[in-house]
Amino acid sequence: MATDAAATAHSASAGCSAMKAEFAKHAEYLNTLNDKRERLVKASRDLTMNSKKAIFQVHRISKNNKEEVLSKAENDLTVVVNQYIGKLVKELQGTDFWKLRRAYTFGVQEYVEAATFCRFCKTGTLLSLAEINDSLLELGDKSVEPLQINVLDYVLGVADLSGELMRLAIGRISDGEVEYAKNICAFVRDIYRELTLVVPLMDDNSEMKKKMETMLQSVVKIENACFSVHVRGSEYIPLLGSSADPDYSFFGASDFDQ
Amino acid sequence: AATATAALRLRAAFLSPPPPPAAAAASAAAASRLLPRRPTASILLLPLRRLCSVPPHAVGDAGTGSSSQPSPVMDAQFESFRAQLDESSTLRDRIRAVVSEVESASRVASAALLLVHQPVPLADVLGKAKAQVEVIKGLYSRLAEILKECPGQYYRYHGDWRSETQAVVSMLAFMHWLETGGLLMHAEAQEKLGLSSGEFGLDVEDYLTGLCFMSNDFPRYVVNRVTAGDYDCPRKVLSFLTDLHASFRMLNLRNDFLRKKFDGMKYDLRRVEEVYYDVKIRGLVPGESKQEAA
Repeated sequence: MATDAAATAHSASAGCSAMKAEFAKHAEYLNTLNDKRERLVKASRDLTMNSKKAIFQVHRISKNNKEEVLSKAENDLTVVVNQYIGKLVKELQGTDFWKLRRAYTFGVQEYVEAATFCRFCKTGTLLSLAEINDSLLELGDKSVEPLQINVLDYVLGVADLSGELMRLAIGRISDGEVEYAKNICAFVRDIYRELTLVVPLMDDNSEMKKKMETMLQSVVKIENACFSVHVRGSEYIPLLGSSADPDYSFFGASDFDQ
Repeated sequence: AATATAALRLRAAFLSPPPPPAAAAASAAAASRLLPRRPTASILLLPLRRLCSVPPHAVGDAGTGSSSQPSPVMDAQFESFRAQLDESSTLRDRIRAVVSEVESASRVASAALLLVHQPVPLADVLGKAKAQVEVIKGLYSRLAEILKECPGQYYRYHGDWRSETQAVVSMLAFMHWLETGGLLMHAEAQEKLGLSSGEFGLDVEDYLTGLCFMSNDFPRYVVNRVTAGDYDCPRKVLSFLTDLHASFRMLNLRNDFLRKKFDGMKYDLRRVEEVYYDVKIRGLVPGESKQEAA
């Protein structure tokens, strides 16, 4: 009886130590994974913050300083790529990009938004995913699979772009650049139309559906602003604040008695 | 100054939304007082023509400018996105079809395992469940074949089989305990499902969550074993669950699903302790008298 009890106790302690050894391995794995995830979240926050700065820089654009503002914004984006996306690339090399996607997706979306916004202001075109990914190839170690932004993050970033373009359009209208605002309007409409066909196919499209609602609101705001200018002639608003003698001839009132 | 003010007032009348009829009549009268006598057309039409951002003759052509034409480059890019996402969607449908079969086979195996709560020989119970495990193993190999078509994207689709895999691990771990009284290790679980550590393996977090689910089966199991007269069972289960809980405490868990499931394990442990206490306090534990228990 005593020997039975001893044998049972021995097997139990052996089982317990095997279990402890197994869980020690899992603890190490989870610690490594969680540390990496935390570092990615921090890198993603830095990426978000600095991409936002580049976006604010682009918003300083006006008729007179376009080249200067855009070249500064491009420099900001180069720094963002080299420093902050570089940090992401180093963390993600040799790991599964999809496993930790939730940790860095928001930073990548913000970068896509900044890069596409800057490109639109410069050339009036949409920066493609292939171009963005080509620019990231230089960052990583050649022997390891490089970080490539996936279609989902690119599309989510482009969806956010509409909000910035809406702000830009309203700003341009108040500066009297009505044609520029109309170009923005046409561009945002095109993107909205294209994304309408893409959304149903996306992996987890609840987030994208919300963005599409916001995007439609932005499109409508730009369209309403363009309509107001077209109908009410808001391009003359700058006259109100000018110190020069205004020309009232367009009222049919140029020959008032002085 | 008076002239400028008058002109601005007039301009405001043009730019503001249309007033109600009574106000419109009043503002028209005011305008006629402000302006010198002229043909009406030149007063009204000239400003309206100037206020339009496009000259009237150009309005018909406004929509045909180059800016309103969709860019072929943009079209091509989004067309390729649609093709990629369509492909991904088809793949996901195939994965889900296999996963629903896994879920179905797992349900049959779990139903067979429920017989442990009844006076049925353990060998018979495990035999039926093991037959289903072989089916599940075949389904996982089909899943691995599908995933080979998109290397490096295991975690993109992982959510589609995660919960089913956790349930399967829970069932396998419980079966393993019934057979051996020990813990099913991660490598053993992978082996039973025919998975490799390479491209398509068993995710560690899924394995650990499965173990947490397994602990939910023990309170009911010990209650029914004691009812069936097996008074030593609570001690064995308590020893195992205590070790398992202590092992889980070695992990630094985040506030996620696994953490929540682990937090639930202590309630299973407490229930088993209560059963063991009830048995022990009444001197029903084999090899102990009531005096020893007291």
